[in-house]
Amino acid sequence: MSTQSTTAGAPRADAAEIRSAMEYYARQEWTDGLPVVPVTESYLAEFLASTAADPDEVLLTMPHLNRRLTVRLAAINAAMAGCLPEYFPVVLAAWEAVAKEPYPKRGIWQSTTGTAPLLIVNGPVRERIALNSRGNVFGSGFRANATIGRAVRLTAINAFGLRPHQLDQATQATLGKYSACIGENEEESPWEPLHAEHGFDPSSSAVTAMVFRSCMHIEARHTGRPEQLGLDLANSIRRTGSLIHETSSALVVLGPEHAALFGGAGWSKDDVRRHIFDNAVNSRAELAAVGKDALSRHTRWRLPAGHPDAVPDQASASDTPDRVPALKTPSSIVVMVAGAGNAGVSTVIETFGMRGDTPSIAQVKDLDV
Amino acid sequence: MTGPEKLLDPTGLDDRAADDTLAPRPPGLRGLTVGLLDNTKPNAVPLLREIHAELRGRAGAGTSILYTKDYFGMPAADDLLKRIAGECDVVVTAVGDCGSCSAATVADGILLERLGTPAVSVVSDSFLVSGGAMAKVQGFPGYAFAAARHPVASLDEKQIRERARAVMPEVLRILGVDS
Repeated sequence: MSTQSTTAGAPRADAAEIRSAMEYYARQEWTDGLPVVPVTESYLAEFLASTAADPDEVLLTMPHLNRRLTVRLAAINAAMAGCLPEYFPVVLAAWEAVAKEPYPKRGIWQSTTGTAPLLIVNGPVRERIALNSRGNVFGSGFRANATIGRAVRLTAINAFGLRPHQLDQATQATLGKYSACIGENEEESPWEPLHAEHGFDPSSSAVTAMVFRSCMHIEARHTGRPEQLGLDLANSIRRTGSLIHETSSALVVLGPEHAALFGGAGWSKDDVRRHIFDNAVNSRAELAAVGKDALSRHTRWRLPAGHPDAVPDQASASDTPDRVPALKTPSSIVVMVAGAGNAGVSTVIETFGMRGDTPSIAQVKDLDV
Repeated sequence: MTGPEKLLDPTGLDDRAADDTLAPRPPGLRGLTVGLLDNTKPNAVPLLREIHAELRGRAGAGTSILYTKDYFGMPAADDLLKRIAGECDVVVTAVGDCGSCSAATVADGILLERLGTPAVSVVSDSFLVSGGAMAKVQGFPGYAFAAARHPVASLDEKQIRERARAVMPEVLRILGVDS
């Protein structure tokens, strides 16, 4: 009898039975394509015990889909996604943050645009559940990040019926659609954390929800000058390919080295935002060359000035009509810090819409239930 | 350790009521007022106007009233739907040619049927499945709607007229009228 492939102390399991449960979920189309964890009432009870919330409390309603998400349904899906019961308060905060967002309730998760939800976690809960905010922050290998992000997408599929090729009509979607959940590396940031910037107690934990389209890698290992780095970020953000509306918005995830470069030069987050905003500008000719120099009178989407539905954009009426800002306001940029402090690398996440209002943030509750 | 238990349903579908009743169909369209619900997508209005012209020509329909939705991605507001149902005998709504608006256009048709007004939702045929999926979540899985060949947004006047003509057999069938 060969035992080379087992480790001493490995438990015994009925693998066929486990597989048959997983295959049942797949046949029901209750998955995102990956296997899910089988969930029964007794396992669900462990999730519900981690929160003071009523299982029947409604977290999010989508009247146009005739569906609503209860705490109980959120828990079933979180458990299926592979969350541990102690992650569930973070999942609930994620849903509270999603409910504060303008776009998911208005059908963006069904859109051809192909967005995905993005979650940012701040505060001590990161340590408590080992949620990664350092090296490989967008990568695989961290259960809390992987399964909390997945819980939201799996719930969208199951509880809101947003299956691809059906109610989810994404033309291509984005690679972050299986799961996208990151922590902020508050310990290596020169600034206050994202949730504290928006009025939350820095010692509390919170989740920020966003709708994102793509992730852009920013290489800038060469410079020690904040102006150069800021311009590199601005030039990336203003790219014409991302423009569907009059302006766009972005989450700038600075690696600790880049954050330290700005912080060491005495720049605040507002200084970073202002510099990017001032430089994220296209010329009228650049936009005309790609047919995005005007707006549709109906949808306010960009189209060529010669189109029968075209009306001028707001920049046309300004003192500098040939300079077209890619952002509506400096606060259309959200700045945070994540990753390892080992190279001059950052990421621009292109978020949906022209936002510029307060990000959608919710506090993590019941951490001591 | 707990023994075997039933696996749980993560969809919550059991919680929702179904209502798959169509509004009563009129014996014919002669002289009836046709509501045209524009979802603001490019070419929605020309397509609706052409369909109305065809309804006049083929079935003697009366005048039309044009309504405009606030936002294409969501079903029309309740008060607008009620106003339309109060002012019109039948309704055509167009054009579902994107992910959210195809589903919302089908939802508009179902909501109008539930208010007692026969309605035809026109989507582009690239979005048949999202329309069908919407009908399912609305508790009306078999709801029939009309499909125009994709694309619609980029067509000129003549091509729009052709699209309207092509979709007429379905429009008339859904309204319960023999062409």
